This record gives sequence, C-alpha cells and structure tokens, in this order.
Amino acid sequence: MSLVLVIAIPILGAFLLPMLSHRSAVLGRLFGPIIIAVNLGLALSIWQHVTLNGPQVEWIGGFAAPLGIVFHVDQFTAILLLAIAVMTILLWPRRMEDPIREPVLSLVLMGAASGLALSSDLFNLFVFYELTAVASYGLVASRATGPSQIAAIRFLILSAAGSALALLGIALIYSITGSLNLAYLAQVAPTLLSGPLGMSAFMLILIGFGVKAELFPVNTWVPEVYASASSRVSAMLSGVVSKLAMVVILKVLITVYANTSASLVMLVVGLLTLVSGELAAYRAKDFRRMLAFSSIAQLGMVAMAFSVSGTAGLLAGFAIMLHHLLAKPALFLLAERWGGHLDRLTGAAYSSKTGAILFLFLALSLIGVPPLPGFWAKYLLLTALFGHDQSLYYFAAAVLLITTVIEAAYLMRILQRLYQHKNSTLEPHRASELVPALVLGGTLFLSVLVAAPLGAALSGIARSSADIPAYIQRVLPVDVPKEINV
Amino acid sequence: MSMLAGNLDLLLLTALLTIVLTYAMGNRRVNGWCATGLYGIQLLFLIMMGMQYTQATTNLQLFSSSLTATMFGNHLVWEMSGLGWFFAVITVGAALFSSWYAAGAWSEKRDGMRLFHVAMAVNVFSMLLLLSSGDLLSLFIGWELVSWASYLIMTQRGGAAANAAFRYILYATAGAVAILAAIILLHQKAGSLDFETVRTYLAQAPNALVWVIMLLFACGFLIKMAAVPFHLWQAAAYSQTPGPAAAFLGAISSRMGLFALAIVLINLIGVARLIDMSIPYTFLDARTLWLWVAAITVIVPTFIALTQTDARMLLAWHGIGQGGYMLLGIMVASPLGVSGGLMHVFNHASYQAALFLAVTSVVYRTGTADLDRLGGLVTRMPLAFTTMLLGIIGLAGLPPMNGFVSKWMVYKSLLDANMPLLFLASVIGTLGTILSVYKLIHNTFLGQLRLEYRDVKEVPWSMSVPMLVLGGIAFITGYLPGLVLDMAAPAQAVLGIAPLPHHLGGVTAATGSLNMIWVVSILIVSIGIGALIFYGGNRTSRVHQFDNYAGGHFLTADMRYHYSHNFYAGLMRVIGPWYRGSVQWLETGLVSISNFSADLANGIYRNAYTSAYLLFTVVAGLTWVMFG
Repeated sequence: MSLVLVIAIPILGAFLLPMLSHRSAVLGRLFGPIIIAVNLGLALSIWQHVTLNGPQVEWIGGFAAPLGIVFHVDQFTAILLLAIAVMTILLWPRRMEDPIREPVLSLVLMGAASGLALSSDLFNLFVFYELTAVASYGLVASRATGPSQIAAIRFLILSAAGSALALLGIALIYSITGSLNLAYLAQVAPTLLSGPLGMSAFMLILIGFGVKAELFPVNTWVPEVYASASSRVSAMLSGVVSKLAMVVILKVLITVYANTSASLVMLVVGLLTLVSGELAAYRAKDFRRMLAFSSIAQLGMVAMAFSVSGTAGLLAGFAIMLHHLLAKPALFLLAERWGGHLDRLTGAAYSSKTGAILFLFLALSLIGVPPLPGFWAKYLLLTALFGHDQSLYYFAAAVLLITTVIEAAYLMRILQRLYQHKNSTLEPHRASELVPALVLGGTLFLSVLVAAPLGAALSGIARSSADIPAYIQRVLPVDVPKEINV
Repeated sequence: MSMLAGNLDLLLLTALLTIVLTYAMGNRRVNGWCATGLYGIQLLFLIMMGMQYTQATTNLQLFSSSLTATMFGNHLVWEMSGLGWFFAVITVGAALFSSWYAAGAWSEKRDGMRLFHVAMAVNVFSMLLLLSSGDLLSLFIGWELVSWASYLIMTQRGGAAANAAFRYILYATAGAVAILAAIILLHQKAGSLDFETVRTYLAQAPNALVWVIMLLFACGFLIKMAAVPFHLWQAAAYSQTPGPAAAFLGAISSRMGLFALAIVLINLIGVARLIDMSIPYTFLDARTLWLWVAAITVIVPTFIALTQTDARMLLAWHGIGQGGYMLLGIMVASPLGVSGGLMHVFNHASYQAALFLAVTSVVYRTGTADLDRLGGLVTRMPLAFTTMLLGIIGLAGLPPMNGFVSKWMVYKSLLDANMPLLFLASVIGTLGTILSVYKLIHNTFLGQLRLEYRDVKEVPWSMSVPMLVLGGIAFITGYLPGLVLDMAAPAQAVLGIAPLPHHLGGVTAATGSLNMIWVVSILIVSIGIGALIFYGGNRTSRVHQFDNYAGGHFLTADMRYHYSHNFYAGLMRVIGPWYRGSVQWLETGLVSISNFSADLANGIYRNAYTSAYLLFTVVAGLTWVMFG
C-alpha cells in the first residue's frame, strides 16, 4: 500500500465531487465524508505500520534518491496525517446553499496537506505548499462576503510573494549543491551551505514559508483572514495549515541548517512573534481577532521551541503543536456563535453553559495551568530554553513567562464577561458546533488522565525524529557520490 | 524518615468525594450539612494521622499516598509531612466551621449555594494536595490548583467580587510564572526536582544562583501571602467573598504561601545559608531582608486597616498584617520563634474566622458592614458581640486569648536574637492593631443604637454556635497553649529546628517563661472578685439604651451623637501624610505600560501595506546574513 494514496484519493475525490453532487444531492453530501473516512483508515494503517516497523521511506516511481522523489514517514508524520484527516472531518462545512466550493477545496487541502507532511525533498514540499496555499485562498474567499474577499486577496498577494521568495531560496540551494533532496543536502550542507549564500537561502525560505507559518512580521494577514473567513476555515488554517508550514521550516532547519546561526534567527523571529501576538491579543476587541493573535503567539512558541537543537526542542515543539492543534479549532468552533465584538458576549455563559465550561477549560490549558496539557507543553518549552544555557535563550524564557501573565489577562477578561449576570441576546451553541468542539476538548481532557504514558510516547517520537543520521541512512541507504554533475 | 500507613489516601479521596457530592446535591439545604459532615470526617482522618505522631519515635514521619506519576523524567510523589499536617488541620477545621455556619439559616433564600459549597470543597482538596506534595513539581501543581480554586471562591458573587478576583488572578499568575522559572532553573542545574537532590545541590551552588532562585520563589509565594509590596489585591478580594467563604479564606488561604516559603527557605536552602548570603555593599543578609519584609508587612497593612470604614475590609487588611508576624517568627529560626510563628497560624485562623463570622452575622441582620452606619448593637446581638470581643482580644494579642501567646513568643524570640528594631516594629504593629480593632467593636456594637436597627434580633443558633465555638477555641488554646504547641512540634521538626521545651500551660525558657494557666486563672479570679463586688454590692439600676443625656439635655433617639465617622481624626492628622499610595502608583504604571505596548502591537497588525513588511524583512535578513 503506497503512501501516495493518502494524497491521491482526496484529490481524486475533490475532482469527482462536483460531478457526483450534480447527479445526486445525497451522494454529494455523503461522498466527502466517505473520502475522509478512507483517508483516516489509511492514516491509521500507516500509523500502525510505522509503530511496528519503524520509520518508512517510499521512492516514488521507483526512482532512488537523491534524484527521485522520496516520501518519508515517521511516527510524528503519521500523527500529522491522522490529525489532518480528523480535523477535516470535524471541521467539515455545514450545509449551505451552494454546497460544492467548500467541500471540494477542503478535500484538496487535505490531500495537499498530507503531501506536505510526507514530502522529503524541497521541490515536492514547494509543490504541495503551493497546492495548500491555493486551496486556502479559495476557502477563505468561499463565503463571498466583502471582508472575506478583501482578506483573501491580501492573503494571496502576501503569500504569493512569499512563495516566490521561498522558490528563490530553493533555487539558490539547488544552484550551490545540485540537489533538492533533504537527506543529501544534510550531508553536503556543512561544506557547501554554511557561507552567506547558504544562510541567505535559509532566510528566504524562512520568510517565504513563514507567511503561512504566521511568523512575524509577515503574519499581518492572520487577524484579517481569521476574523472574516468562516470559523471552520479559520480553524483549519490555524489548526492544521500553519503547523504544516512550520513543519516545512523545521525539516529544512534540522536537516540542512543544523548547528548554524539559523537557530538564533528562529529564536528571534519566534520571540517577536510571541510578544507581538500576545500584546495585540490583549488589545483585541473582537473575539476572532483575539483568537488569531493567540494563534500567532502559540506559533511563535513553536518557533522558539524548534530553535533549540536536539530532542528537547523537538519534544517541546511537538507538544505545543499538538496541543494547539486541538485547542484552537475548538475555540474557533465556539466562535461560530460567539464571533464579533467582545461586548456581545456579556452573560453568554448563562445561555450556553457547555460552551462556557469548554471555553474555561481551553483558556486554562492555553494559559498553562497544571495538570492540563498546555502546562506540560509550556513546561517542556521552558525546560528546552533553560537547557540551552545561553543568555538570549534565558531572556526568551523570561519573555515567555511574562507573556503568560498577559495571556491570562485577556482570556480571563473574556471569561469574566461571559459569566456576568446579564440576560444575553446571544443564541446558544448548536449541536453541530458544540459536538466537534467537545470532541476536541474531550481529547485534551483525556490526555490529562493518560499524561504520563503520553509524555513518554511523545519523548520517544521526538527522539526518533531528531535522529538525523538515521534519517539520512534510511533515505540514502547506499553511499552516493558527494558531487552530482549538473 | 519512615513512612506511616497512610490515611492520606482516604483523606484525599474523601476530599474528592466532597466535591462530587456538593455538586450533585445542588441548591438543597442538606448540601451544607452534608459538606460539614464530610469536613468533619476529613478532620477525623487528620486527627488519626496526628495520633500516630505521639506513638512515633521521631517527628519526621511522612504519610505516604499512592498518588504518584512520572512525567518527562520527573517522579511526582504526594506525601504529607508534619508541616503539611499542621496546616491541613487548620484548613479542614476552617472549612468545617465556615460550612457549618453556611449550612443553617444563612443559606436560606440565598441562591448560588451550590457554587459556594463546591468552591469550598475544591479549595480544601487542592490545599490538601499542595500540603502533601513530596517534590517541587507536585508542589507547583498543587500551588496552581490552590490559586485557581481561590479565584473560583472569590469570583462567585460576580460584579465587584469578579473585578477583585480578576486583579487577584493576575497577581497569582505573575507569582506562578516566577515559581515556575525557579523550578525549571533548579531542574536544569540540579538534575532532579525531589527535595533531597535540590537540598544537596543548593548547599554547594554559588551564591548568585541561590539568590536568583530564592528571589523567584519568594516573590511567587509572597504574592499569595500578600506581603508588601504585593499586598494590594487581597483586602478587596477577601472582603467581597460571601461571608463564611471569606472566613475560610481569611483563616488559611494566604498561609499556603507561608507553607511553601517555609519549605523553600528553611527546609531547602537553610537558615545558615541565608545568613551566609550577604547583600553586597551592606551589612544585611538574606535573612534580614525577609525579616524586614515581614516587619513592613506587619506595619503597613495594619495602619491601612486603621482607616477602613468597611468592617470586612478592616479585617482583611489585618489578615495581611498578621501574616507578617508568622513570617517574622519563622525567619528568626530559633525554636521559640518558629513555634511562635506556627502557633500564630493556628491562632490567627481561629480568631480571624470568628471575627469574619461575627461581621457576617451583623451583615445578615442589618444589611450593612459600613462602620459609619452601625452602632449600639450590643444589646440586640449579644452573642455576636461576645464573639467579636473574644476575636479582637485575640487579634490584638492580649491575654487571655491565644493571640497573646504566639505574639509573646515572637517578641521574645526577636529579643533573644538581638533584634530590638524588629521587636519595636512588631510592637508598633500591635499598637495599630489594638487601635484598629477597638474602632471595629466600638463602631459596630458600642455607642448609640440607630433607630433603624432597634428591631434587629440575634442571629439564629445555627449561625451563632459555630462562631462561639471558634471564639471558645481561641480562649481554650489561650488557656492551654500546650495543645497547639504539641501540634506544631512535628511541623517544627520538618523545618529542621530544634524542638521547643513546653508544657500544657506554656513555655519554659532560661530567659523567661510563660505559664498561661496561671495568667488566665488569675485573670478569671480577678474578674470573679470584681463581679462579686459589683453584683454583691449596691443595687444597680438598668437604664434604657435610648435614655441619654448630655449637658443636661435629653437626647432624642434620632439625634446623632455617636462618634464613629473619622474615628482617629487626631491620629490621622499626624500619620496621614505617610499614606502615599506608592505601590498603587507602581501597579497602575505597570498596567499602563502593558496597555501602551498592546496598542503598539495592534498598530503593527493594522497596517494595510503588508507587502511592505515582507520587503523590509527580506532586506533586513539579507543584510544581516551578508554583514552579520
């Protein structure tokens, strides 16, 4: 069973969906979830396979690396594939008048995101990144309201410019080394890519992919888009797509630019993202904008985590990513009813009791109150930062702690407003919004109960992902000549 | 240290059960009685644990629980030492009396009682978890749970209470991140977070590092204790909490900070090390620093209490001030001082809870706690008056109440340790306390009775019995302080301080003893003799409370001649200029800076020309690569 199926089936389904829904409305409604269920099954079997047999490599078309395209899947990638499928089904668009745009684009997004997780060379990463980007532009604009279309256009311009820069960086790397395979680059990078040209390529790649990864200062599209697009689209973007963009940057960082000053750049960028995100969230007066800024800040934390080399940094980054992947979409689902100006939320807890309890739980987890999972994620990040024993990293840790207080301020402010004694005009949450949110919140709650084994498993996953020599050995099993004649 | 067969598991399970049952029983009347009974059962378990100390060979017994976890290489254990046990008894006792008071007539026709009882049960459970933490990470987990449980209990009434609780949770989060920073720093340096490893590491760590860790821990814990300069949040938050819950909070909540501080400063770092760590360019050391923080915490909040016109605010400010005495005693670190500090925790809990309940009774009947609007209630509410009288004598630290004993021990330990200035500071605090509590009882119960309160009745028995029992406890432990000193002995052993030789009536020391049995007995006998003379002598005539004259004129009941407003006008004219509000200014400044930075950040994101940022970033990045 090939890894390509995980990508091919959703995209094929996306093309078939309009035709099928023309024939029969019922089949059109069911087809999307069926495709996702198939994908979920595939992802589960991949997970099982990888857990039993270790990380797997697949050469597309039988062409060996470093010339051919390689798909690599380890346990963390398998978790990402699972998460993509689960998120797509939980955030599946509700019935609307024109039912085809959003489901089709969601399927394309699922396929492209899976491809992004699996790819192991720069070209393939770029292709799937662009496919993801196009799908997201369409999804943002799918509601056809004025603000969402403007936001989509601005997002498109910024993202396209960023992609062009990333392509420039990739071309730079190709011109120096003659290959785009990450494992091969990991071998030749210390000699060929450690100079200014190599670092420039990294900067361009960081800024280019950083647009989607919501890094400062190219993340100005985030508040606009998340506030005007439909909540489910925002949830998908902030929950899944941004993580995958960050994973792309991570792959480049730990294979090609390990042990260089690139880590320092990641730390500074992450720090600025964190600070600007939390401060802007404190000031935000709109619920979805607040969630957008909170998302920016959490991704800044992920960037800070990945700037620490070794297992500790990866473990912290994975923990924060997984926690945010579950928490933020749940909050966006609550925002379907609660979106808009914060003053509308006065007394909303009394009309939507479950929603308010869920918000309380998620807010406490984001702030980092033990024994909730958000605390362990922040604990791991702080441990990684303190463990690096450099003054800039200590400073970053101090800033992280101070911004936690600001985070507590704006989240508890909203909570206080929710529980104010006043008859609310807001309607209670519908089941279609509350059930997926409760599934996500429930998963977080259950993770508290199995925290110890989960933590141990995550440590193992991080250790195996950080093992770059083993990765190189898997992708390039025979010694290939160091130089490739272009 | 050896492990004793745990009733700790049963205790924690009962506490958890209390939460579940109080939630399930909702707003029914039986909820309060059920909660009271369950707290009684928890107290029973604690007493059974305490009896094992009398049979144990040393006082360093640990009660182990089966609650353990291993997270990311850290082995989390929960086990209760003598120190935790001492605080746990006070916690559960305070909850018992508060819940007893709230179970009866007070909760009639009052909504929100389910949240009230659940919040108190959550508080007790989280405090028990904190008090039985066996390593630094489980201590932090317990600490955070306690902080958020306190937030729940403070915010339940909504409105002004929610605002005060919001201010509290910001302070608490700031403290929590400081503690977390210290813990992770220790984890990185020492390798593990269990107490033995940390103690061994700190013994040979450089002074600079121990300073950093100590300051981070201390700031975090002092915020909970509301020591100066972190004192601004507590009074408003405690006074807005519903009556019996305020009694619970005032009795024990901020002492959780003292517990954690004692563990870190005395147990982990050690007093010898503290004396060793000198502040550069001065003759002071770390221990003197904390002693003076404690002394300022004694003085400043007490004199802020002096100016309060709300009875609950006055009591809450005193709660902050008395915490300073406890810290003072513990930081002196002599057997007498530590016993005095620990005993003061118990004593303060007893009379502070009694006072809060008395004030709540007054509020229940009159609808106000405003000291300018009350007066003369002594004939209408004699039981509440008796409770308040016992309470304020304890708070002021005068015989025959227990407050006198612990304060005497603290004063004596300061003098024995050659610290006359600190002794003077604590005496100034007592002076402020005496003035302030007299104002409390005078404005509430003495003087002229207002017309609108002439039909006020005494509170029902369900409310007056618990507060009288608390007052009685304060009296009995004042008569027989050896009872509390026995309880504090295991706690003292955990802190590594030599035991204090004591007997049932008090303390025998070479430099001067105290025997309360004699003192109180003589007091009782003298009062008895006075009563004999008074009642056995001439017949007294009873005068109606409204039958008053001044300057030969008959004063009608609607004429206001009660001196209550601006009670210490003369004193305030002298010390008024000292009330500068500097810390308030600091707090407002910090909030302004945050708002300004937030506006800046928001401005960055409101920019419409986002591609300009992209261009700028690329140019900056490439420049850095080329030339950096």
